[in-house]
Amino acid sequence: MENEYPLPQPTPFTESFWDACQQELLQVWRCKVCGHPFLPGGPVCPECWSDDLEMQPVSGRGEVFSFVVYHRTYHPAIPAPYIVASIELENGVHLISNIIDCKPEMVRIGMQVQVAFKQKSGFKLPMFTPTVHTNTTFQLKRGNSSV
Amino acid sequence: MNREALIAGVGHSPFGKLTGRTALDLEVEAAIKAIADAGLSPQDVDGLVTDPGPAQGILNGITPHYLALGQLLGLNPRYTGSEILGGAGSVAIIQRAVMAVEAGLCSVCLCVYGDAPLSAKGSFDYARGDEAAFGLFGAAGLHALAAKRHMHLWGTTENQFGEVAIAARAHAARNPNAQLQKPLTMKEYREAGYIVEPLKKADCCLISDGAAAVVVTSADRAADLLKPHTRILGYGQAHNFGTYSSPDHFDSLPAARCGPEVLNKAGLAPSDIDVVQLYDCFTIVVLMQLEAYGFCAKGEAGSFVEHGRIGPGGSLPVNTSGGLLAEAYGGGMLHVIEAVRQLRGEAEDRQIQGAETALISGHGLGMNTHTTLVLGV
Ligand SMILES: [Zn+2]
Repeated sequence: MENEYPLPQPTPFTESFWDACQQELLQVWRCKVCGHPFLPGGPVCPECWSDDLEMQPVSGRGEVFSFVVYHRTYHPAIPAPYIVASIELENGVHLISNIIDCKPEMVRIGMQVQVAFKQKSGFKLPMFTPTVHTNTTFQLKRGNSSV
Repeated sequence: MNREALIAGVGHSPFGKLTGRTALDLEVEAAIKAIADAGLSPQDVDGLVTDPGPAQGILNGITPHYLALGQLLGLNPRYTGSEILGGAGSVAIIQRAVMAVEAGLCSVCLCVYGDAPLSAKGSFDYARGDEAAFGLFGAAGLHALAAKRHMHLWGTTENQFGEVAIAARAHAARNPNAQLQKPLTMKEYREAGYIVEPLKKADCCLISDGAAAVVVTSADRAADLLKPHTRILGYGQAHNFGTYSSPDHFDSLPAARCGPEVLNKAGLAPSDIDVVQLYDCFTIVVLMQLEAYGFCAKGEAGSFVEHGRIGPGGSLPVNTSGGLLAEAYGGGMLHVIEAVRQLRGEAEDRQIQGAETALISGHGLGMNTHTTLVLGV
């Protein structure tokens, strides 16, 4: 059991976020009174204290606000090296997550990323991959060469 | 001006068996009702003090720290309490002692920090909430995120973080009580490797078992005591309870709010401070505080610390005993003790000649808490 992922412990306020992740949907809380979008969730909007809240789907696109590379393993299920990043979503909400499918030396602040749900110990976590520009270019080139 | 305190509003949640409700949920409800009762709005609130209650726990789930220690010391005090502010706690308990003494609640207040994280190995590496699912463990990762931002925004370099570590080790070499007595070279700093990139081993504080205490009392009570008195010239706090989801969490410290205010109230400018004792869990926090307190302009701390400026003999020696980086992890209380020794002229090889003012900071949790104390002769 040692290599079980240290999974989130959903509370009444965060379970709808994590439940949506299991459907591969990224959603944030939004206050219906003042419009404030926020995570991780709570009984009221932290801006105006209204309890008139809803979950709002977001695009899953964002950019790297900051990132670090763990060179030390803190948990056996998450061996170093790995990239932890603060991702700024399109609505301004930030999210701590991992950048995957990308070498640490290729990551930059401001780099465009998109959500990719990864199953860990039976639970889907929202991680982020670089937005795929290179593949598009590659396909276009290949298309051109076949003409 | 009448500063007499009064109660402006009250409110509470239901009491009883409340299945499906959490303590925090109930606390929010009570807060909203009390503010409404006072006729105030959320924006009016600028302070918050809490008691988590026994079920939410302080120490081992049930025994508060002050009680456990007080029982061992055989005390039946007139005033007591514990603070849970992480690295801001040592300065906070001194502030609280000052307030208690000045209010006449007690006359000799013992302020004690102690911990034994090495005996409970790994206790500094705890999971950071649900973010642990992404490997966010310990304090280094959070501070590395701030360090990376500083590099991005201001062009700060890893070598400039190294300057802070090298200065700490140079100070510690003059402190017989320091855990790390050997000076550090830039080459050694760079070759030690990353813990959480961009922070290397020497960017991270020591982990130490130990305890430190300070006694706060009144001038009347102290009149015939032996040691030179150390005066309280000012103190304050500011906190940032934003989550990691808040836009600017990693770009600034709440020190930028309370630091300048405390100095202003004391009638002092940053250039008037002789002894600078900044909480230094990581080198990046020293840089951010040099800016927040106004020792240099925002974004300029990296170049400010070059050429040994904050080392021994520099124009602004910082953490003359070596700090958390090189003396020991003393929770912040060792920073206070070093300041007192400097002001008394007891700092031996480290003595800053003619030191008359000292500034001490505390910084804690997920970059959430900050405390400031200004002392004088
Ligand atoms: Zn709102």
